Amino acid sequence: MLSVGFRALFRREVLRFVRRPKNTFMPPAITNVLYFAVFGVILGGRIDEIAGYPYILFIVPGLIVLGAISNAFENASFSIFHGRWNEYIHETLTSPLSYAEMVVAYVGASAVRGLVVGIIIAVVGRLFVPIGIEHGLFLIATMVVITALFAGLGIIGGLVARDFDDLTVMNQFILRPLVFFGAVFYSLETFEQAWQVTLSLLNPMVYMVDSVRYGLLGHSDLIGVGVLPAPYADFAPLFSLGVLTTATAAVLAIDVYLFKIGYGLTD
Amino acid sequence: MPPAIETVDLVKEYGDLRALQELSLTVEEGEFFGLLGPNGAGKTTFINTLVGLVRKTGGDARVFGHDVEDDYRQARDAIGLAPQEFNVDRFFPIKEVLMHKAGYHGIPEDEAADRADEVLKRVGIYDKRNERFDWLSGGMKRRLLLARALVTDPDLLILDEPTAGVDVQLRHDLWDLVTELNEEGTTILLTTHYIEEAERLCDRVAIMNEGRKVTVATPDELKERGSDTIAVRLESEPSTAPDLGAYAHETTVSGDRLEVRVDDGGATAPRLLNDLEARGFEIADLEITRTSLEEIFVDLTRSEDRTVTRSSAESADGSDDESSAKREREREREGVA
Repeated sequence: MLSVGFRALFRREVLRFVRRPKNTFMPPAITNVLYFAVFGVILGGRIDEIAGYPYILFIVPGLIVLGAISNAFENASFSIFHGRWNEYIHETLTSPLSYAEMVVAYVGASAVRGLVVGIIIAVVGRLFVPIGIEHGLFLIATMVVITALFAGLGIIGGLVARDFDDLTVMNQFILRPLVFFGAVFYSLETFEQAWQVTLSLLNPMVYMVDSVRYGLLGHSDLIGVGVLPAPYADFAPLFSLGVLTTATAAVLAIDVYLFKIGYGLTD
Repeated sequence: MPPAIETVDLVKEYGDLRALQELSLTVEEGEFFGLLGPNGAGKTTFINTLVGLVRKTGGDARVFGHDVEDDYRQARDAIGLAPQEFNVDRFFPIKEVLMHKAGYHGIPEDEAADRADEVLKRVGIYDKRNERFDWLSGGMKRRLLLARALVTDPDLLILDEPTAGVDVQLRHDLWDLVTELNEEGTTILLTTHYIEEAERLCDRVAIMNEGRKVTVATPDELKERGSDTIAVRLESEPSTAPDLGAYAHETTVSGDRLEVRVDDGGATAPRLLNDLEARGFEIADLEITRTSLEEIFVDLTRSEDRTVTRSSAESADGSDDESSAKREREREREGVA
């Protein structure tokens, strides 16, 4: 049973972004219309199929991941940092909520924003190309895990940041490059050199994009490049989900620890 | 029943700076307790330690018997805090801000809405319930901080300089309200720079200086610790100040006016008159001036301009440290100290 206090904080966090759709939902919708129009229709029309899928369909999962995790991260980091900056996070910190309840409420609400943005991007993509869902439960589980993971990382970002520029740096200069090199716009199978694949596999975004692509299209680059040994190669998406879930649990534990010691929150 | 607040040897250090030094203090349930001290005395640090905004370095702190760190949920649930700073959620209308705060304390949404209305009416800004914080005047903002502290119906209400910078009318309104709350059973901890406020409202006051408790007493007891001045106007100017004995701590002459500083002006005046008449002086007029609480406060907290650091506290010789003093002033501005 979720406590009244937890529900109050979760509700407050969700209302904060729901009541500002111009700031929270409109930008990813417009950006993705542009992505699909330029990369999918104009450039995609000149590109052959990738892994047997039209290019515009192939990039849908990556764009969903990009929008979902960016918004989950941005929401959590902004909410924490803005609360610190204006000190109204004291309303939460001086309440009898447990540290775990505080973290789960902030992470949960930010994950919800990420999921809603992911759905918006899917709907925008559907305007350009028919999209099916091959592994629905796997897709849902992956989306929940990766938005929670980046919301959890956003909490750390919000606690570590010293000014608003730090938040911008984290999102624009760390998150986005990793996603763009996370096989959003290309397949790992297109690499001709083994080191290119090996280097890509060091990027955690590859596993997220691949998992969502597997859930939506039924295609996994990680199976194709043989990330797991032969008898287990087809379990690559499940392996990815397991690793991502473990990473999410670890990040949430760090969040709770930081709240407990008051890092960035108390003197 | 455990005390509302009980701290034993409470210490807070910021690096080399000691903001609280082995502070032991007890506030009984139902008391109206004042915390007085100059800027940087550690009043806000003390309060923030109780509510969880400052992590103590050492010692113990309990609220109604609950340790502020081990049992932080119970301790925080008992406290309503009206801070100095305007740390209010700007995203929502003020009624929703209060509902959220009540919600965090486990109060269901419907009841939270009723309570928000009730406290907004009580502090006199109900008609502004749908406004955002930034649209309120300074006085209304101060009222809202009090409303937010009250919406959880706390057993311990902490008011950190609630009347700083407010007009006379609002100050009296706030005094009436907190007096009423105290009479209803709420324990109140008030920090203030206004001696009159402490004298008027508090059952007991603690005077703090440089992170230490200087004394704890009732306002009357404090005033008794001061000396009084008996001013006597004589019919003729004396050539020198008369020698009056040990009860006169200081005797000064200015024209036909003789001023004598004594412990208790009322009790000493007849003896003084007799002594003066015995020495041939004719008395035209007499006036007794009681020491104000403010003068006693200044006397108790008068100290060299020094900052207490861990090393200076250990060696007890308090050397000046300009950079530390600057840092302490910065912390004070930031609402830390």
